[in-house]
Amino acid sequence: MTEPAAVTSPGAIPPAPSEPANSITKSGFRAMWESWTNRVFTMREDRFFLFLAVLIGILSGLAVVCFRIAIEWTQIELLGSSLSPTFPRLVLAPTLAGFAVALLVIYVFPRARGSGVNQTKSAVYVSNGYIPFNTVVGKFITCALAIGSGQSLGPEDPSLQMGAGIASLLGRRLRLSQEKVRLIAPVGAAAGLAAAFNAPISAVLFVLEEVIGTWSAGVLGAIVLAAISSVVTMRAFLGPESMFRVPPFRVAKPADLLAYVALGIVGGLASLVFLKWLAYARPRIQAFPRWTQHFQPAVAGLLIGIIGMRLPQVMGAGYPIIDQAMHGQFTWKLLLALAALKILATGFSFLSGTPGGMFAPSLFIGAMLGGAVGAIEQHFFPALPGTVGTFALVGMGTFFAGFLRVPITSVFMVIEVSGNYTAILPVMISSLIAYGISRSYIKVPLFDLLARQDGLVLPSVEEQREQMILTVEDAMRVDAALVLERADKVVDAIKKLEGNEGLLSFVRVRPGEWNFIEHSELQRLAADTSQSHTVEEANSKGPLPFVFRDMSLEEALHWAGDWPALPVLSRADLSKLEGVLTLDDILKAFRKVPVA
Amino acid sequence: MSSPANAILVGKKSPRIYSREAVLFGCILLLVLFVLFTAAVSRMYHKSIHVLADNWFDQGEASFRAGDIKSALTDYRNALVYSPDNAKFQFHLAQALAAAGRGDEGRSYLLNLLSESPGSGDVNLTLARIAAHKGLTSEALRYYHGAIYGEWDNDPIGKRWQVRRELAEYLLDHGLQQQAVPEIIALADSTPANDTEQLRVVGILWLRAKLWTRALEVFRTILSANANDEDALLGAATSAFNLGQYSAALDYFDRLPEKDRDASGVAEMHKTAQQINEMNAFLPGLSREAKARRAANDLFLATARLQQCAGQVGQSLTATPPQSQLQKAFAESKELAADESWQNIAKHPETVDEVIGHAFEMENAAAAVCGEAEGADRALWLLGRSREFRHSD
Repeated sequence: MTEPAAVTSPGAIPPAPSEPANSITKSGFRAMWESWTNRVFTMREDRFFLFLAVLIGILSGLAVVCFRIAIEWTQIELLGSSLSPTFPRLVLAPTLAGFAVALLVIYVFPRARGSGVNQTKSAVYVSNGYIPFNTVVGKFITCALAIGSGQSLGPEDPSLQMGAGIASLLGRRLRLSQEKVRLIAPVGAAAGLAAAFNAPISAVLFVLEEVIGTWSAGVLGAIVLAAISSVVTMRAFLGPESMFRVPPFRVAKPADLLAYVALGIVGGLASLVFLKWLAYARPRIQAFPRWTQHFQPAVAGLLIGIIGMRLPQVMGAGYPIIDQAMHGQFTWKLLLALAALKILATGFSFLSGTPGGMFAPSLFIGAMLGGAVGAIEQHFFPALPGTVGTFALVGMGTFFAGFLRVPITSVFMVIEVSGNYTAILPVMISSLIAYGISRSYIKVPLFDLLARQDGLVLPSVEEQREQMILTVEDAMRVDAALVLERADKVVDAIKKLEGNEGLLSFVRVRPGEWNFIEHSELQRLAADTSQSHTVEEANSKGPLPFVFRDMSLEEALHWAGDWPALPVLSRADLSKLEGVLTLDDILKAFRKVPVA
Repeated sequence: MSSPANAILVGKKSPRIYSREAVLFGCILLLVLFVLFTAAVSRMYHKSIHVLADNWFDQGEASFRAGDIKSALTDYRNALVYSPDNAKFQFHLAQALAAAGRGDEGRSYLLNLLSESPGSGDVNLTLARIAAHKGLTSEALRYYHGAIYGEWDNDPIGKRWQVRRELAEYLLDHGLQQQAVPEIIALADSTPANDTEQLRVVGILWLRAKLWTRALEVFRTILSANANDEDALLGAATSAFNLGQYSAALDYFDRLPEKDRDASGVAEMHKTAQQINEMNAFLPGLSREAKARRAANDLFLATARLQQCAGQVGQSLTATPPQSQLQKAFAESKELAADESWQNIAKHPETVDEVIGHAFEMENAAAAVCGEAEGADRALWLLGRSREFRHSD
């Protein structure tokens, strides 16, 4: 008699009625664990990767929750709970904390320096996804201290790197394949960023746009899962509210969108100024004697503290201030001053090598600029729809797109951080303008620029994105083929080829099945005295792999070397030849395209 | 099938698999510990943040109550840093901003709150006040109505009544009487008949809207409960006066305390009412002689006024045929002139109406040409008008 499947199947729990209760529980638990792990480990690696993505998401979410709490507590302890800290705290907290951060970065956590985006990117491309866990700890401590003490930096990029670090550790410890370990860092990065921003879509897009640069289906699922699980985790502890609250508005007339064109221009120009300044000053500051690194964050902190004496709003990540700007709490003059001083303060913090992110400051600058532009425009055109808050929201995305050069991320980020879809059209317009201006005057995006200054040549996602993709259409030749049917007489074919020796001969066997015949073969049969040979009798090569005119040339290249020529067929009718493609044609097409 | 994962696929047990299992077990254990740790930390964090937010809010409330709006604004903002979604904090900040004359800044928070709870009476009312302050009448009306039909936590009926009263006052202040009337009607309908205070407010609003009958009705209701209610007496007197019920008005004026009667406007009305009472030939209970005397006096007064007015504008009243309004009125009265002694009128009591009619006509003509008269002439003119209205009714 056959045993029930449940009893014989691997990992099933054997019944043990005679054992004591405690033993049953113990054995039951063990069996359950074995059954579960068995199921997990017998998954295909890609499924296991997805399971791992969820685990990474939860761990990253938890880490980000602790990180945000640590920043908040540090800020309350060092600067006090008021938005306007008292004088000694304003100057002493960022200066002394800056010195402590410098010592930690130099002697304990040397890899914690910088924002974290490039470090993650270099982990993917240079060190096969390896990010030491020490970096995660270092990033957590130094960034909490720096941002909490008022350095003008944000927690998002460090969260990204912490997520990547956690993922990298898990990947290594679980002995994933080399390829998966390399891919798992971006998965963690998306989880960290999603939790920090409370914005899973933007995090996924940013990692795809900036860190990986491809829409690989294999890793996309894992990235999305990690981002979602991290956001769910974060929301469980810190609440589901979106970062900013903006009053709803609507664009009544298409002409109203012109207001956002102006914002796009201002945002683009401001992002240029910031980028130019960082690009100019960073190598010069890096050239300072090494011992000065001990004091650079402290000096930056002191300078920020001095700015803070007049305008404390520029200190720290600045989210409450962005919220105030979105509620129209500042005059346009103050908004402009805050934007300008934030550029200065963030430059000080970043150039001094203080660990911390650029996301929050760029959102701050964008919001202030947007608010200022909105306030000025509404002064002259009071009927303009939307409030200063609306412009501040759109300004955030605009500056973000121009400064970090991630236009798609910036559009979704604005929607996610505000929970407001009404801004989508204005933010698309102004972000694209800002992106275009930034791209026109500075060819290399910020993170690539920083990497190059550090001596790393990481692949530029922007270049990849804008690279020309050649298709079969760009290389194929039309009217270069002689189409023969199997029943055609060889002599007739020879006649057609007279004077057209350059034509390639293809035999249409049936729709989708094509063969190739060399001219020499046709001539061989034609030389026969019977003169009655048909094309079918000839030795042809095939069936040939066929291509379509919209396929990429790289794809066509896979087959082009093995066959004398490839037929280019119509997608609507596989018996219709649209052109021919040879290896020479492909190489000629590639040579025509300038190398980026 | 060469990677470790593929080895698992075919079920081969290797040290790597156990290692992975151990790591996974460690991860899950770590995850559980991490969740517990994060839960503990976040609970502590939320508790401390909550305390901070409340402290700042309480401080803000204290500053606001003390009239230190600037400090209150800072405190409310600090409170919002630690509890950015707290509707109460946002609302109080918006109120403080509105109180500081920065309604535009407060409006933004309020619009946010409104998008989350469109039926909030408090939010609608504050938005209405900001709009009213800026002179945006249609917006103010929209928000006032939002507040009237909105939700209120405590005493919704009382709050709605107050909001409608505020709306009616706003409309009357801005000369929008037509829009104010339906609001006052609704207010009156929702006012309990025994609530003197609210009835008084409604009565005053009717007075301001110049709907005297309704006002008099309300004040009479109050007086029926308390015959000495000074506000009601004054309101009733004013309403009766404007309705041409001068005897009733005089009665109410006379019942007013001395100090109230001396107030400007009131004293004038009182005096006019007295004069009307003295010259009104139609007052019930008058003897034939007294009636005749009054009629003759009125005609004499009106003729003098007509002559004075004609002199003022340089017209001769004796022109033939009479052309102007003054000349026509004078010519008609002259026809009676021979018989206008009070004795003659007393002999022919049926002429009283005609005589007084001419007097009123002359006063009207003089008022039309030379403007509204003063003193006794004004009293006579008002008396004539009130008779005209009554006849036309």
